[in-house]
Amino acid sequence: MLQGALSGLAAGGVYAIIAVCLTLMSRLVRVVNFAQAATGMFGSYVAVWMVSKAGIPIGLATVVGILIGGLLSGLIGWIIATWLSEADTSTRSAVTVGPLLLLISLSFILFGNKPQPFQPLLAGPAFTVSGVVISQVTVVIVVLAIVVAAASKLVLSRTSVGTKLRALSERPTTAELIGIPAKPLGVAVWAITGIISTIVIVIVAPSQSNDAIALSMLIVPGAAAALLGAFRRLDLAVLGGLVLGVIQGTVAQIDQVSFVRYFLPFLFIVGLLLWNQRKAVWDAAR
Amino acid sequence: MPRASFPRVLAFLVPFLVAAGGILVGFALSVGLPGYFVFLGTSAIVAAIAILGLGIVTGSAGMIALCQLTFAAVGAWVVAGLNVIGAPGGFVVWLAFGGVAAGVVGILVGLPALRLRGVNLAVVTLGFAAAADVTLVQIQFPGSVTGTSIERPEAFGTDREFFFLGILVLAACGLLVYFLQRSRWGSSWKAVAFSERGTASTGQSVPGAKLTAFAVSAALGGVSGGLIAGQVGLAFASSFSPIQSLALYVLAIMSGAHLIDMAIFGGLLWIVVPELLKRWGVPQDWAFVVFGVLGVQALTSGTNLGTGIRNLWWKRALRRSAVPTKSLSHDVDPAPPHRQPSRGEPILVVRDLSVTFGKVEALKKVSFELVEGTVLGLIGPNGAGKSTLVDALTGFLPQHTGFVSLDGRSLDKLSPTRRARLGLRRTFQQDRVPPSLTIDAYVRFAARRRLSTPEIADALQFFGCPPASTRLASVDVGTRRLVEVAANVLSQPRVLLLDEPAAGLSHEEHVDLGRRLTQVPDRFGTSIILIEHDLDLVRSTCDSIMVLDFGSVLASGPQDQVLANPDVIKAYMGETELL
Repeated sequence: MLQGALSGLAAGGVYAIIAVCLTLMSRLVRVVNFAQAATGMFGSYVAVWMVSKAGIPIGLATVVGILIGGLLSGLIGWIIATWLSEADTSTRSAVTVGPLLLLISLSFILFGNKPQPFQPLLAGPAFTVSGVVISQVTVVIVVLAIVVAAASKLVLSRTSVGTKLRALSERPTTAELIGIPAKPLGVAVWAITGIISTIVIVIVAPSQSNDAIALSMLIVPGAAAALLGAFRRLDLAVLGGLVLGVIQGTVAQIDQVSFVRYFLPFLFIVGLLLWNQRKAVWDAAR
Repeated sequence: MPRASFPRVLAFLVPFLVAAGGILVGFALSVGLPGYFVFLGTSAIVAAIAILGLGIVTGSAGMIALCQLTFAAVGAWVVAGLNVIGAPGGFVVWLAFGGVAAGVVGILVGLPALRLRGVNLAVVTLGFAAAADVTLVQIQFPGSVTGTSIERPEAFGTDREFFFLGILVLAACGLLVYFLQRSRWGSSWKAVAFSERGTASTGQSVPGAKLTAFAVSAALGGVSGGLIAGQVGLAFASSFSPIQSLALYVLAIMSGAHLIDMAIFGGLLWIVVPELLKRWGVPQDWAFVVFGVLGVQALTSGTNLGTGIRNLWWKRALRRSAVPTKSLSHDVDPAPPHRQPSRGEPILVVRDLSVTFGKVEALKKVSFELVEGTVLGLIGPNGAGKSTLVDALTGFLPQHTGFVSLDGRSLDKLSPTRRARLGLRRTFQQDRVPPSLTIDAYVRFAARRRLSTPEIADALQFFGCPPASTRLASVDVGTRRLVEVAANVLSQPRVLLLDEPAAGLSHEEHVDLGRRLTQVPDRFGTSIILIEHDLDLVRSTCDSIMVLDFGSVLASGPQDQVLANPDVIKAYMGETELL
């Protein structure tokens, strides 16, 4: 039981980081980015390709891959900021279905549809808790999730860039009128969350099923986790990710119900959405 | 539009003739096509049926559904399962069962959608698609392990014959969707996509509209999945992966799949694009990249092929016919502006109605009665609580306290839909008329009763609306709101609440509308509460007047008394306004 729960912690950390990225995107640029994990997948695939086919050192390849992830995300952000700056969240989010489809199929073309020969960046156990080995990946991912959430919180509440971002997210027109550069800041948010999700996928991909679809669909548990914070609160997003991972790990240990774990993110999503929206009856305020 | 001048019988026959023509062409293709294209053609048919379903849920009802092929997998699963146990009836019956089963799953997945909308629904459906995909890979389709191939019906055993069966099923689905789109369900889907409040105010249940859209869409997905199972013989999870659902969604968006011809066109694209790429020596996988790019283009520009083509067509048709669009007709006798208030029974009774938003008291113990057969004017400065009163009366603010009864029946705890059905109707200050409908479809939808064409034409003329065949998208907002008034009057409610119906019209049109409203109680048996800022309209229309200020009733009674009341003059009109 404990082993299952702890083994789910690494996955939970990944969900948490994706959830933090989704929350930032939702708050700051009004998008639920369905391509959030897909850009990370693509960036990390590029890194693998550079190591295995082009013989580039793993460190350099990883950095380039991460930058490509950020670049792709920024590009999507630029498209949306250019043509849909005034559109509502649903329309802006629907656009990201296109890149999700595109990136998965492009990775099939460029890299084949087999899992990739990822070289682990981190390997081996970190320490042992009552007989259960905790891997380095788990430690790094969980710490990273908390650090990213805390850093985002600090940036948003303590720096002038953070203030501008919050102004943009809450009163976009007013913020633009007082001279806050909406488009560059928005695109920067896209690029940075793209970089963060690529980093986490590069770290975690060697130790889990890493075909293009599985990695891109990390968006689903990520969204489930983000929903615990209603796409607003970073701390709850982290908590949601970790809890979901631990529950999934535990359920996977019980043979009779192990297939339930696939539906856990979905059930999480439905349950949390119904709870969050319990008071919203109508589509418009009046 | 030419269709309106067709005799009704012919108009009814046209879709059947088109379907028969399609079946003939399909038969010719099934005989004449080279074998390779027969298989591809079947895939196109299957995709077209799935896209038809998406056209309903995303095209008409405006919900983002990213799990169409998961519903297809349910259909395929049922067909494969019935095949393995050798269920009676054969393939066609199994196919129908597959469709029904997928429809049921669609309802289950759609249940959360009753509360959810927009991007939340997209997250739910993507989550469902991802979960179902992993599960399917694990548990496999019935018969796939033992290699039990699905038995096709005897008459459609070969690939060519099965292609023709696909054509027949597609024609049947196309006809079904055609008539559903023109039914109350179809109107309710388009209405709910535009405004849930507007939909509820016509007495249509919003959950009902969403669920039917989800169920029909999923059922079509199930039928398409069943056909896939029959086409390939052995169903595998790889035929139903989430990425293909995404591609279908994108195709549905960019082709404009709420239109049947465009759904079929989308199905063709589904196979033509990869096939062309192959001819040009490009790997077929690039097709989804192409779809992705085109999808981003369609979604960012908010356009699609079908609507684009039709808009061009309509523009040409409009130029050719050059119908004078509107102006209030002057052939109706204007009623005398001042009538004696009739002494009917109170039909709407309101006692101590209060509404608070947090600490703001929007309405404080409002009490009044609306006498049957009269027009009550509701005036007051901006923010006085007029629209809040309408919202509370029609059930949109269930937290209100106090007592409201219609025709002696308490409306306590009833939903807006129920209240509308009982005969308490309203119109909105905002534009809540779904632009994707024609005036005729909207009026029939909102009236909720069987209407003859002359009856509609008569009422539209009475309120100075354009002819019934006009598309609502092509008229201005002021006119749309007149159509809203006409449609609600045609529903013959007991009481109709009009929230500034004349906003967006010229002053002359205001007064003209007022004259017509005075005749509504006699002509349609409807009593009216009219919110209005234009005092000329109020004077010419209303038997009595109630003035709201800061959420309380400042004065009420016969109009000359109320308008002469010094408090009213001060609070509402300011000192300088001349009465």
